[in-house]
Amino acid sequence: MTYVAPLPKETISDPELSELMGRGEALGVPDDLFPRIAARSPDLAKPFMRALLMSHAEGNVDHRLKEVIRILLARFAGDKYFAALRSRKARDMGLTEERIEAGCNDYEDSALFTEAEKCALRYADQMYLDANKVDAAFYNELKKHFSEAQIMELGAFIAFHYGMQMFMRSLGAAAPQGAR
Amino acid sequence: MRFSAADKLALRYSELMATDPDAIDAAFFDELRKYYSEEEIVELGLFIGFNLGYHTFFGTLKFYPLFSPNGRLLTQAESEKIYGPAPGSLQPSEPAK
Repeated sequence: MTYVAPLPKETISDPELSELMGRGEALGVPDDLFPRIAARSPDLAKPFMRALLMSHAEGNVDHRLKEVIRILLARFAGDKYFAALRSRKARDMGLTEERIEAGCNDYEDSALFTEAEKCALRYADQMYLDANKVDAAFYNELKKHFSEAQIMELGAFIAFHYGMQMFMRSLGAAAPQGAR
Repeated sequence: MRFSAADKLALRYSELMATDPDAIDAAFFDELRKYYSEEEIVELGLFIGFNLGYHTFFGTLKFYPLFSPNGRLLTQAESEKIYGPAPGSLQPSEPAK
């Protein structure tokens, strides 16, 4: 149980939040735990859920790459909850656990990732490990593989998901039973 | 500015989430509940998490303060001249344990 108890699902009557919660459950990230906790702050629950879903499942960067990045970040954040969740959309697009493990570990030496993908993984990896390394030269390297819009999409995705992972870690959230 | 015990606890939540999240336990939330409702605690947590994620990202983009010390709106080039190559907003935060 988290330090702040989630609201019972049946007490969430806001149709917009219910719809967002349904989208999360269909995607698999987040399941109903995050929105049921966030729903305790009704003004924030909807924009935060929308941002979580949009930044992950929409946009112009490969969703499978963002899913690997999301799990890499959750492990770095020490957040067992988000680390255990998996995107059904990414799985249906062909993302495997083998690729996720490679992305979270030895991606630099892995033949499974292109140079562009390695650069994006490095962006997430270095952001909260040693942000000083994410400098002008690093952004120039990113620009060889991604448009400025894609770089901002990646950066905002990384920042938002890492922040929510640290929030869930602070609540002591565990991996959902039967995750994956 | 003087901080109340409630203010200090909220600041401590922010500090611990960034630097020592294992120190946030059930007892810490019991302490928070002496001053804040469940709704306020979740609002604080979401807000802190959001800022924790975004400020590091913004720091890598080399944003400089938008205003001079006397409150004048600045361009980024002007701001860099005033605040130097590494203003406080670009100082790295201590990573989580």
